[in-house]
Formats: sequence, C-alpha cells, structure tokens
Amino acid sequence: MQTAANMKTYHSELQEALADQFLRDTLDRFAVAYRANRAAIFADVDEKGLIAEIAEAKEAAIGRMDELYEQFKAEASKRGVIVHRARTAAEANELVRRIARENKVKTIVKAKSMTAEEILINHALEAEGCEVAETDLGEWIIQLRHEGPSHMVLPAIHLSRDQVADLFSQVTDERQTNDISKLVKVARRELRAKFAEADMGISGANFAIADTGTIGICSNEGNGRLVATLPRAHVAVCGLDKLVPSLGEALRIIRVLPRNATGQVITSYVSWITGAGECTVNPDQKKIMHVIFLDNGRTELAKDRLCGEALRCVRCGACANVCPVYRLVGGHKMGHIYIGAIGLILTYFYHGHDKARNLVQNCINCEACKNVCAAGIKLPAIIHEIRARLNEEEGAPIASSLLARVLSNRKLFHTLLRFGKWAQQPVTVGTPFVRHLPEIFAAGQGFRALPAIAAVPFRDEWAALKTSVASGRIKIGLFAGCAQDFVYPEQLRAAVKVFAAKNIAADFPMEQTCCGLPVRMMGERRAAEAAAAQNVQAFAREGFDYVVTLCASCAAHMKHNYEEILAGRPELKAEVRRFAGRIIDFSSFMRNVAELKDEDLNNSGEKVCYHASCHVCRGLGVVEEPRALMRAAGQYLPTDEEDVCCGFGGTYSVKFPEISSRLLDKKLSRLEDSGASTLLTECPGCVMQLRGGEEKRGRRLKVEHMSEFLARRLK
Amino acid sequence: MNKIDQAAVALFKAKAAPVSIFLTEVKGLTEAMDYAVEVCEKKEPFRPLLASSAAPDVPAAPGVPVKIMAAPELSEPDFLKLTQKGGAKGFSVIRDGLRRHLAGIDVGFTEADLALADTATSVLACQREDTRLATMICEIHVMALAKSKIAPDSARAENFLNELMKSGVMYTAFISGCSRTSDIERVLTLGVHGPLELHVALMEE
Repeated sequence: MQTAANMKTYHSELQEALADQFLRDTLDRFAVAYRANRAAIFADVDEKGLIAEIAEAKEAAIGRMDELYEQFKAEASKRGVIVHRARTAAEANELVRRIARENKVKTIVKAKSMTAEEILINHALEAEGCEVAETDLGEWIIQLRHEGPSHMVLPAIHLSRDQVADLFSQVTDERQTNDISKLVKVARRELRAKFAEADMGISGANFAIADTGTIGICSNEGNGRLVATLPRAHVAVCGLDKLVPSLGEALRIIRVLPRNATGQVITSYVSWITGAGECTVNPDQKKIMHVIFLDNGRTELAKDRLCGEALRCVRCGACANVCPVYRLVGGHKMGHIYIGAIGLILTYFYHGHDKARNLVQNCINCEACKNVCAAGIKLPAIIHEIRARLNEEEGAPIASSLLARVLSNRKLFHTLLRFGKWAQQPVTVGTPFVRHLPEIFAAGQGFRALPAIAAVPFRDEWAALKTSVASGRIKIGLFAGCAQDFVYPEQLRAAVKVFAAKNIAADFPMEQTCCGLPVRMMGERRAAEAAAAQNVQAFAREGFDYVVTLCASCAAHMKHNYEEILAGRPELKAEVRRFAGRIIDFSSFMRNVAELKDEDLNNSGEKVCYHASCHVCRGLGVVEEPRALMRAAGQYLPTDEEDVCCGFGGTYSVKFPEISSRLLDKKLSRLEDSGASTLLTECPGCVMQLRGGEEKRGRRLKVEHMSEFLARRLK
Repeated sequence: MNKIDQAAVALFKAKAAPVSIFLTEVKGLTEAMDYAVEVCEKKEPFRPLLASSAAPDVPAAPGVPVKIMAAPELSEPDFLKLTQKGGAKGFSVIRDGLRRHLAGIDVGFTEADLALADTATSVLACQREDTRLATMICEIHVMALAKSKIAPDSARAENFLNELMKSGVMYTAFISGCSRTSDIERVLTLGVHGPLELHVALMEE
C-alpha cells in the first residue's frame, strides 16, 4: 500500500524496494515466465478478437449499470437474496457490520476480494469485535503480516518461502520448514478449523449476472466454495462494474481472465450462485445471503468520457505483470490498494487525489499494459489524463508549466533550443555529450551521458539537402521531432540519403514543432493541444502521400492521440484524420512503400542487435520490417526481451532516475551479451538513453538509429 | 446432447492432462463406482484436519482408521450399489450429514451434468449442501462423466447452462482440476482447501 505524503518520501520508498534483492529476482523470474506462459496459453484462441468483444460488452454494461443493478436486485430477491447498494466505502462497511450484528456473527471467513480490500472491510469488522480470517493462502499470509497485497492475483508474491515458514512457525507454535508443499498443508489444516467455526462468509464476485441474479466466483484454491457454503450467512461484496447482462458475457470474460491472470485456460473452480441455497444449520434450511454492490465513485466514473473505460477492468492483474516499473519496485510501491497501471488509475477515482498524486507520475508510458489488457483499456492515456486533472486541480509543478508555455509557441521554443547550443559550450567541452552539467540541473542523471545540442539543427540544413530529394514517385512529408531536429540531425540526414536512393520526394514543412508528447505526459493539456494543431496545420496544405517520422514516440502519439487531443477543435477533425492516417515509421515505409529490397543493401555481415522501441513495437505494431531490414544489411542477433522498455520514457527518466537507470542497465547488459558490435533502434529517445548509457559503461556497443545503419549499407 | 461428439471427447482428454486430471475410461456408472472404490482402496486414509469429527458409522478394527466415501447425488439403487461395493472393502459410504465430517473424507463421488472440452471443465449442479461439501472436503474427487455430455466449449453449452440456472438450481460449479495454489513463490502446489486430486471416469454410456 503506497501512502507516501510527498514525492521525496516516495523516492526513498522506491529506493528501499530497489534494494530488496529477493523482490528483484522474484519479479524478474515472474516477468519472464509470465510472458512465455501468456503467449502459449493464447496460442489457440483469437486473443485480439476476444479482447475486443469483452471491451464492447463491458462498455455496454457500464452504460446500463443502474438498469442492470435493478434487474439483478429483482431477480436475486425472488431467490431469497437481499441486495444492497452502498454509495461509499463507509456505507458498505456499515452494511456488513449491521448484517454481522443482526446475525450474531462472531467469526468470519473471507475469500479473496479486491472490492473488500478497497473498503478495508477487515478493519471495520474487527472494530465491531468480529474475528476475520482470510482464507486465500496469499491473503492469509499478508493478513498475518499486517500488510496489503502486492499483486491483485498473487498477493504475497513479495515474500519468500523462508519468510512464510517463519510466519507459520509463529502461528502454529511449532518450527516449520521452508518446504512449500508442507507450508500449504499448514494452511489447509489451520484454515479448515476457521471454516468449520465461521458464522459468516465474505466473498467478492467476478460477475454479477443481471438476468438471473447470479454471482460468479473464480477460484483456484476452492476457498470461495467453502466460504459460500459452510457459514450460516454469506455476504458478497462487489463493485457495480461487475454487473453484466447475461451469462454469455461472463463466459466470454472467463476465456480471457484466467489466461491473462495466471496463464491458465480456466481456474480450478468457477462457482455460480443463483439465490440463497440450502444451508442445513439455519432453522429454515436456507442460507442468509446478501449481495452488496459498491459504488464508491463508479457511477461518476461511468459518466467520464475519457476515463470511464477503466470500469471495464476484470482484475486480472496483467497490467502489473508486464509493467517494467512494477517488475522493479513491486506492488507496494505501484499502487495504493489496486496495483499496476489500473491501480494508478483507480487510486485516483476510489481513494482520493492525495493518494494518487505521486503514484500517477510513476508510469513510463511504454504501453506494455495496454497491449495485454483483457478489456482493451487505454491505460497510459487515462494516466496522462489524470495528470492533467491533477495539474488543473492543484496547479502544475513549475518545470511543467514552463515547458508548457514554451512549447505552445514554436518560435520561442526553437529559439530557446538554438540558444541552448551556446549555453551548453562550457559543459560539452567540444564533445557530443554534456560533460559537467551542474548537479542542480541533473539530480540523479549520472547513469548516462546526456547529448549536446547539435551545432546546426536539421531545419537549417534542409534548404541545402532538399535539392537531392525534390522529385520522385512518392511524395512524403518528413516529421522530425525535437530530438532529431536539434540533437541528432544526422539521423535525418541519413534518412534523406536512403530516400534519395529509392527516388522518394521528401519535403520538410518548416512550421512543424514538437509533437507535444512531453507536455501531454506532464498533464499540460493546452500545450499538448497547441502543438498538435500546429503540426496538423503545418502538414495540411501539401499533398503528401505519407508523413514519415523516425521518432516512434512522435509517430504513435500523433497517430493515436491527436484526434482525442484535438476533440475541442471540430474544424480540424477531417484534417487530423487525414494526417494521422498518413503517419508511418521509417522501417515500414522503407520496406513496404519505398520497397527497399535486400539487393539494394550491402550486407557486410556486421553483427547487429536490436532494441524494439516501445512505440514502434506496441505503439505502431511494427515487428517484422525492422528485423527484415537488419537481416538484409547485416547479421541480426536476436536477444531476449527486445521489446522491454529501455527506461527512457521522456521526462520519466528525469523524474525517476533510480528506475530509469535500472531499466537501462538491464537492457544494455542483455544487449552487450549478444556479441553484436552495433545496437540499432528506431527512436531518438531510445538512442539518447542507450548511447548515453553505453558512453558511461565504456562503449561496447555502437548505438545507431536504423536510418544511419541503412544509409551506411546502401549499395 | 445424446450423441457422442468424438472431437469434443478427444479435446477434453487432451486438455485434462495439463491441469493434472486423472482420466480413466469405463463402460457405465457401475464401473465408475468400481473405479472410485479402487481409488479409495489404494489411497492412504485421509489426514484429519480437525481434532474432533463424527465417528464413522461402521465399526473399525482397533488401530485401523475407517475410510469414508460420500456420494450425495446418487439415486437410491445406485447408492445402495456403492454402499455394497464400499462396504465390502470396509469403507463407510455416506450421502448426507457431511457437516459432521469437516475433518475430511477420503473420496467424494459425483456425476457431472455437462462438460466443456476446451477447458476440461466438468459442470456439476450442487443444489444440495452435501454435494458441495462432498466435493470439497474429500481428498480425492472422482467424477463420472458420460461422453455424450461433453460439449466442445462454453459458447456451445451456454443455453444449457442458462437453463440450469433458470431452472432453480442455486449452486452450479465448474470444476477443472483439483484445488491448487501458486501463492508461495509462484510454485504450483495441489490441494489447498479442497481435493488433492480430481479423477474423471469417462463413461461410454
């Protein structure tokens, strides 16, 4: 449970987590295993098709939440269930306490429920004098340790078998070994007694099916079945977002939920409870059964045009499983109660802005989560939106406001970048790196060398370059992005050379500016809109067949976010669509459109390895083309985890250098081990991070943009 | 679903192994009962999880714990048959009062109402509390499943499931393996709160 009051405390908590070697190793193994298991378990189903179906079904259900609630209530009531709706966490807890009092409940067994965690139900019941036992093994372990879950599906993943053995030794007053199967048997024995004695069971629900008044509970251990069967009373607590119209939607979700959560085709048990069933210890032989639907902000969230889709979440935990930041710091630092990307979001909506303020900054925008989300939630975009709202509510940090103001004015921005060239001279000492940046400007940035601003920006060279690419069979507009225009113009010069070889007519509209992604990530809504409008207009007049960009982050941002960012400018709508539709990355353009063939390239057998930039492989879905080009022009040596983030993330690497540097180190170690001499990538931000890291590590790899490599290898 | 869908049967078999289901093929319910008795005979007597529990209803030889089988859903003649078969081995065969046996029993015997091949799921209507308990507090759950009841997947069984729920069955279980956890260091361990093993006896009839 992340509760740091300010960023400084949060940073020191992150440092603590980074120092936990067991956590590091465990989460590393988990990330690698999860990736392989997930790929295998989805091999025989149409993953994207199913996810799209779930997204659509959940979206429809969210739009009818009130109606589905009424229908569920009517159906379940017919079958002897008492259905409640709680506006807040406090109301839900009061309801449960009242049910406990009315039924003279002393002991309670609980099955795993994130909704119950959300309202901290155990505290409320313990205050009432009830004894509450968690019965999911992981939940029981963390309950005994007085901790919150560190993962939504594997709550005790942060603990070792030795820690569990110590804990169980205390509980049983008997020394337990660290043999996991024996530890599980300890839980089986200890908890059976709790089941046998309990007066009331509390569970969550994965589904609440409106047309039959049924709740569905997925469980592997089987504790859910015992919680729902043995005690006199059963209370299910679930969010209004769990309502679905019929069994069909639930069955569809089950095709993805366990696959995404644990790499299983289905959990060992799914229990469908349709009414208050037989319970032989009650005088009327019927179970006392209550279902409490929790609102706690869900009704408001459902109306939220930009963030409402967060309610589609089915709590599979996959967004944490693939998150490179989660992998480094674990769930206690990556969520308040809900964990992972969805945790950052739900913390803001369910637990308050103060709890979310630091957390929502800790997303590197690599889109790994969005890529696996069972319900197709655009998680990074919602996180950006929350940053914008926090800025509006509480005022933005000074650095953010300043950048926003500068970026909203292209001329001012570019003048400042030019000025930077002169201002940096004392610190670059004539090299392409910033050598001695005073610590005040670069706290924690020592892990990589930062590049210097180029002597001549690309835009100033364009007039001279233009003649070589003036006429051709395909007409393209070149979008540079700030990093290549002002820091790495050589990447664009190389591209121009490759264009010329394939008779491509390129133009460079001078009015283009920063794509706006940095300000969007900082939550500066207006500056992001200004930059987007400026670029759309800059490319509007020319009849380009394509807009080619060598910066994957710019490309993905412009292609996928501009329409939303410019929603308030209806006069630009058609133009934005046209612009977005024409955007293409360099490798795909060269391979598929310009038809750069193997015979156009000189293959010298140069050993190259590859970093798949987040916004190339996930943002644009480009996988094959760069690899084909590398094979054509050199000896491509594949490495593990090519598509895991390098740790750059734009401003993220400045905000969280302790995490950025770890990601970079892991990345470079893997790539150096490949035996390659050259590392290729397709985003200037990644070049900046990787080259800067190699500079510090002793330059074992030459880091280049794909364009530089291809230009070198042209016949 | 009276005809056997051979493709679905094959799929069920293929999907059962990865989730540690013990599969056997038998002719009919009588042979499935024989199998359950055999499983019970071969296993170690259950380890009681509670200090006190009801005494078995057959007298035990001194020092020899009596094994318990439960089959709450069997028809009168079938239950009688199982009682005779189990009784011959000295087992106590019960069908109600499972709450008195929360310390554990050896074998729970049920017959599945439907199966979904693509996830090796057996569907069991558990209207009776005793059925739910028998399948949870046993160390080994033996489930008889007629091949003719195996559907390819949940989508094609949706109507049947819907009818089941609307028919007044208040508790339906999908069972796709035994009780399992990976909560300690992600190491898969079988048998947490429920059965340590699930056996499915596929019946030709």
